[in-house]
Amino acid sequence: MSVSTGRRWRLIAAVVAAGVLLAACGGDDNKSSNAGSGKKTVAIGFVGPLTGDNANLGINVRDGMRVAVEEANAASKDYTFVIKPFDTQGDPAQAPGQAAKYIPDAQILGIVGPTFSGETRAVLPDLEKAKLTMISASATNPGLPTVVNPETVFHRVIPDDDVQGLGVANYVAKGLKAKKVALIHDNSDYGKGLWESTLKGLAPLGVSTALTDAIDPKSTDYSAAVNKVKAAKPDLVFFGGYYSNAGLLKKQLSDAGVTAKFVSGDGALDPGFITASGAAGGEGAIITCPCKLATTDAGGALGSFATKYKSVIGKDPGTYSSEGYDAANIFIKGVEAGKTTRAKLLDYVETLSPYDGLSKKIEFEANGNVKGGSVFVYLVKSGKLVELGTTTDLAK
Amino acid sequence: MHACFTCLKDQFGPQTMDGLTLGAVYALIALGYTLVYGVLRLINFAHSEIFMIGVFGSLFAMHALGIGDADPTKTGVVLIVTLVLVLIASMVMSGFAALAMERIAYRPLRKRGAPRLAALITAIGISLFLQELFAARYGRDQLGYPRVLAKRELFNIGGANVRSDKVLVLVASFILMLALDRFIARSRLGRGIRATAQDAETAALMGVNIERVIMLTFFLGGLLAGAAGMLYAVFFETIKYNIGFLPGIKAFTAAVLGGIGNVRGALVGGIALGLLEQWGATVLGGQWKDVFAFAVLVLVLMFRPTGLLGESLGRSRA
Repeated sequence: MSVSTGRRWRLIAAVVAAGVLLAACGGDDNKSSNAGSGKKTVAIGFVGPLTGDNANLGINVRDGMRVAVEEANAASKDYTFVIKPFDTQGDPAQAPGQAAKYIPDAQILGIVGPTFSGETRAVLPDLEKAKLTMISASATNPGLPTVVNPETVFHRVIPDDDVQGLGVANYVAKGLKAKKVALIHDNSDYGKGLWESTLKGLAPLGVSTALTDAIDPKSTDYSAAVNKVKAAKPDLVFFGGYYSNAGLLKKQLSDAGVTAKFVSGDGALDPGFITASGAAGGEGAIITCPCKLATTDAGGALGSFATKYKSVIGKDPGTYSSEGYDAANIFIKGVEAGKTTRAKLLDYVETLSPYDGLSKKIEFEANGNVKGGSVFVYLVKSGKLVELGTTTDLAK
Repeated sequence: MHACFTCLKDQFGPQTMDGLTLGAVYALIALGYTLVYGVLRLINFAHSEIFMIGVFGSLFAMHALGIGDADPTKTGVVLIVTLVLVLIASMVMSGFAALAMERIAYRPLRKRGAPRLAALITAIGISLFLQELFAARYGRDQLGYPRVLAKRELFNIGGANVRSDKVLVLVASFILMLALDRFIARSRLGRGIRATAQDAETAALMGVNIERVIMLTFFLGGLLAGAAGMLYAVFFETIKYNIGFLPGIKAFTAAVLGGIGNVRGALVGGIALGLLEQWGATVLGGQWKDVFAFAVLVLVLMFRPTGLLGESLGRSRA
């Protein structure tokens, strides 16, 4: 191919691309208005894992969103809300590829997610550039608000791992009265972050660290760490990581005859923990979460949400379902208030007046973190997760 | 990173015990890579999925025997019969899966004289196909696995608690490896494998049925991978569509470390890798396990490019 034809092709390609782009931007209003009902269609993106190792956490968030959208569509006169899901498998390497799909989609005014901290870190610069508002229901790494500086688009409806780590440390020292702990993480952004926050929180409370180690989350064999724990004889083992690894680790510790208490964070709060550990192997494990698990027997809004969730989704709400519901509702409220462009919606979320959410009263700090927030403690008992209370109450 | 050499000194017994156990499983899988490479000069990258089929095969067998996730552990004769039946079921499933794989993915290519690179691509293709097939059928989350063998400490040597399940893995793997070694060294079919590995054309002229030898090689590798899958599943009690990936990579590494194409090399490589990983993780911390193990692999290959034993399958003798 000669140089001139090469250049001509490139020109044609550029013109076509520009045309597509213009059509996508300009055609927004006509395309999304629904002639039949007179309602305008607005999309909220879901970004996170729907398949892969720890997909349950992402699926819970999406299903919480589904309940919010179903309620909104029944009530709204002006808008039809849809969820556009983007499956990242929770993998930071796959997150940018998905971002390249949802960022140019003009119908999407905001995203709930990304679900995990690592993938959030990977796409934040692009989201900031596109001024696409994100509200994560679950990404808790403390470093996220400073990935882009200055940032506007980052928000999350749960407190970060520093809050959780402090809560855990307080509970471990005063509630469980541990003197000597072993801290293990899974080398992920989330697991290591929570591990560091807990380590930081424990230091001033007079709890000594008998051991720090890491496991390979792709592996099923944690015997090196298990043997170290056995040798160090701690009162308590803390693990920062996700449920499938946490369950296996707990089982291998129990099998090795380790009787120290086992504590893990929000990433481990899933029935998948018990699948991995077995009912006997998981018995007595303590899992903390800055999230509120909705159960059908809970009273008030939380209970009626759980009932609604069960009828729409067909199962009980899981970890982050209520947070996913809240995050989606913030966008829905914004759109209902007429904020139907990305810029207006971003402004709305940035200056959100305290929103009475299911999980808590939600108000954002300037850096996108949620204000306040409690850390709840759950216990694995006869193959089920039971809520014990908040770390503040239990540490008294 | 801080190195803790006293950790290794203090925990030498238990860490070595666990390294040996995992190393024995690596060795069993590595034999499949080594056998096929010895005969065909082909790396069967789908071998990790043959292992995965063995893991699932053991679960199917448990279910067929009516064993549920929450059932109590078995003892005595019932335990032995259950384990033997499940082991045989896994081996048979993996063995026939390997045969089918050879038939579908490799033989048509070989018949048309396709380059080895093409076979490598079909290997990766069939590996992904099988993973996704199991993911679609059984989901991507891990499934529960029943506990049949109580994890009881039998005795204690130098701080190493010798547990029932570790003994099962070690004893079963060594019996199988010994059986394979004897089979290749002594039997008529084993002689065929050695002859083909040495010089396929001459072997064919001497009356060795090459196609049958190739089928037998895949079948043997499959049997061992199936056994490895069953032992792995009973040991870790976890099961997932991609469970074969990591052990597969590790076993391939073990085969190269020991000298690919060498049956005893697979054993040495597997045990060496299992121990190196464990000791590396003990001294440097779990996050450095692979870094350490693979650094040693590179070092070994620098000084012994053909692996530790570096001998070919054809020359392995009684």
